[in-house]
Amino acid sequence: LPHTLASRLGLRLATGLWLTVIAVGLWQLYAYENRPGVAATAPPSWPATSGLTLATDRPTLVFVAHPQCTCTRASLADLAEVLTRVPEPPKTYVLFLRPSQFEAGWAQTELWHTAEALPHATVVRDDDGLEARRLGVETSGQTMLYDSRGALTFSGGITASRGHAGENAGSTALLALLTRGAADRVASSVFGCPLFAPNE
Amino acid sequence: MLSAHATERRAAQLFADHRRDIHVRTDRLFAGLMLFQWAAGIIFALWISPLAWYGAVSRTHVHVWAAILLGGAVSLFPAILALLRPGEAATRYIIAVAQMLMGALLIHLTGGRLETHFHVFGSLAFLAFYRDWRVLVPATIVVAADHFLRGMFWPQSVYGVLIASKWRWVEHAAWVVFEDVFLLVACRRSVDEMRETALRTAALEQEVRTRQQAENLASLTAAVGLALTRGTAIGPMLQHCADALVNHLEGGLARIWTLNDSGHTLELQAGAGACHALDAAYARVEVGAGAIGTIARRQQPLLARTAAVDLPTCDPAWTARPDVAGFAGFPLLVDSKVVGVLAVFAPDECSASARDAFATIADAVALGIVRDRAEREVVRNTRDLEAARRQAEAATRAKSEFLASMSHELRTPLNAIILYSELLQEEAADRAEPGPIPDLQRIASAGNHLLEVINGILDLSKIEAGKMTLSVETFDVRALVQDLVDTVRPLAEKNQNRFTVEFGGDVGVMHADSLKTRQVLLNLLSNAAKFTSGGAIALAVAVDPADEPPAMVFTVSDTGVGMTPEEMAKIFEPFIQADATTTRKYGGTGLGLTIASRFCSLMGGTIAVDSRAGHGSCFTVRLPRQIVDVDDDVVIAAAVV
Repeated sequence: LPHTLASRLGLRLATGLWLTVIAVGLWQLYAYENRPGVAATAPPSWPATSGLTLATDRPTLVFVAHPQCTCTRASLADLAEVLTRVPEPPKTYVLFLRPSQFEAGWAQTELWHTAEALPHATVVRDDDGLEARRLGVETSGQTMLYDSRGALTFSGGITASRGHAGENAGSTALLALLTRGAADRVASSVFGCPLFAPNE
Repeated sequence: MLSAHATERRAAQLFADHRRDIHVRTDRLFAGLMLFQWAAGIIFALWISPLAWYGAVSRTHVHVWAAILLGGAVSLFPAILALLRPGEAATRYIIAVAQMLMGALLIHLTGGRLETHFHVFGSLAFLAFYRDWRVLVPATIVVAADHFLRGMFWPQSVYGVLIASKWRWVEHAAWVVFEDVFLLVACRRSVDEMRETALRTAALEQEVRTRQQAENLASLTAAVGLALTRGTAIGPMLQHCADALVNHLEGGLARIWTLNDSGHTLELQAGAGACHALDAAYARVEVGAGAIGTIARRQQPLLARTAAVDLPTCDPAWTARPDVAGFAGFPLLVDSKVVGVLAVFAPDECSASARDAFATIADAVALGIVRDRAEREVVRNTRDLEAARRQAEAATRAKSEFLASMSHELRTPLNAIILYSELLQEEAADRAEPGPIPDLQRIASAGNHLLEVINGILDLSKIEAGKMTLSVETFDVRALVQDLVDTVRPLAEKNQNRFTVEFGGDVGVMHADSLKTRQVLLNLLSNAAKFTSGGAIALAVAVDPADEPPAMVFTVSDTGVGMTPEEMAKIFEPFIQADATTTRKYGGTGLGLTIASRFCSLMGGTIAVDSRAGHGSCFTVRLPRQIVDVDDDVVIAAAVV
């Protein structure tokens, strides 16, 4: 292209526009990844109607996941990190949602197999999300901890953002509760796919 | 040989070309890398997180859209620039920024994994392919800014930890700068090597060009030499020279002017190259006018590296032509006189060797012009001489015709006069009337003298006309001499002279013209008898075996009046006697010795004289004993000088 003044100005304008587009795109990406899901309205006491069994000798941890949610990989990784670091692992349930329109094998994804490898964890298929609804969970990655008496001690997410594993406020609080019985916070934002569509 | 300046310019050009080539190729590599990274990102997103779920409902995952749209935004713009504006600084700076943004995105998407930071270092190394350290600057700034901003607001996405030191970005940036230092050194070394390679290549090209120029100049010199030697007319000859100059100079134009007869105007004789019309501008240039006229006036070469700059006297419209850059003008000098001007305009600066060759060619052309003029002068003189020769031949023919006429018209009545005077003498004697006899004798004597003069003139004329013939025969020398003695002895004794003959051994025979031999000897003996009184006359005959072929030597000596050196110098010229009084005192025609000398030459011999006034003379005749390869009665024209 000829090096006319218009050409040079055009190039500078295009470069500026290009950088702006990238900045906006990155901002949108960051916004998406840092936008938390709907927090759970977990019952403060272990629900009597729950199909799960509350452990009376140790805390009971319930982790609810959407089997197809890729963001939940990070949450499972952080959960594994927490469980390996506690001296006495809680009784752990990992619930995987299976809507009724999908066959049974739909829920047995890589996440399922990852959850099966967690120490002292029980993987449970939650058909139509009945158990999740009982626990008031709306977002994949939601983690709840009940003590041996059935009192809710923690409810929230254990990742800093969508799909980003690593140290974060939720997992730190959960680890503190499991190791020391107390934590700075009892709730955190949860990042993951919605378990239910808006009209469900 | 090109100048060092030209070599440096060429090296700079080669270096710039090479560097641009590297930039263009690296731009294209990055264009491919950008598109590859874009495609890989899309594939990666589709593989890892193709769908986002809302319960039982799925949609395309945001990461897929991000890979398509954001990855495309990052990749396409620099890729398009690499294709549309390859080699430009702005293109590679934008590529550097884009590549680092791609790295930032990758680090973010991997949650700040340590391993993905190696993308930054790999990208910096790849950017070093440009061999331009400046391209590392925007790349480093982008990395440092990304780490600073994300480290401050979202450290987990860049460092993988929730809390990081606010100075951690400095550590990361320092490692980037650490690599930059090595890459910068590598770039500088590489650029230095490129410069050195360019310089070597330019020097090599210069050497090759010098050799080609030398070959061109050699062939040019040969072509000009050929043109100058083969040329039949000055115009075509100089045109061949001008054509050769242009053909061997890879373009440009050449012109040759010659100084006209007035000595004030140069006339264009030949032109070749871009402007070759002889009737165009500068067909006639006054001496002293413009660059060409100045060369003729100063009689000095005029050389210019850039005609437009260095030739202020040259027409600007002319020097601004694209095929005119270097200029070399030479006066055509012969013996310090200008005969013309040779000028060469070349697209590039004329090298020193080319200028030397032009100077040599100018000398050759000048000599060619002078030679042409000399040849034309010779032709003109030859034509004049031919005309003169024809006139002389016509005069000779007229003389011969006159002499023939004289021979007939004078000798016939003269013979009648002599005959009748002798008859009248006889009648007077018979009638015993002696009165008229003395007068009749005078008439007969005068007639005989006149007849002798006429015969001498006829002989001389025939000799000079190359029509005198030799009647070669074999004769006995002693008999010839005896016959001469019988004829001359009465003449010698008439003046109371003693006449002797001496033979040096056996003289044998001669194979020559006996009549002309006899006539030569008779003339010499008659003169001796005529110019000697009361003295001695001697004839010596001998063979000189030392001559090759052997010569017969006749020596006629007397003790007569002799001659001075001045007289001796002209006695063989026609109608010349020793002095003016000789004819009155001794008679004679003044042709005898001339004819004798010519006869000797005709027979391949010589005649010489030695004399002192008052002490007599000595004539020596040397004749070949045998005239070789000459048939009888052959015309010996060539022998006559």
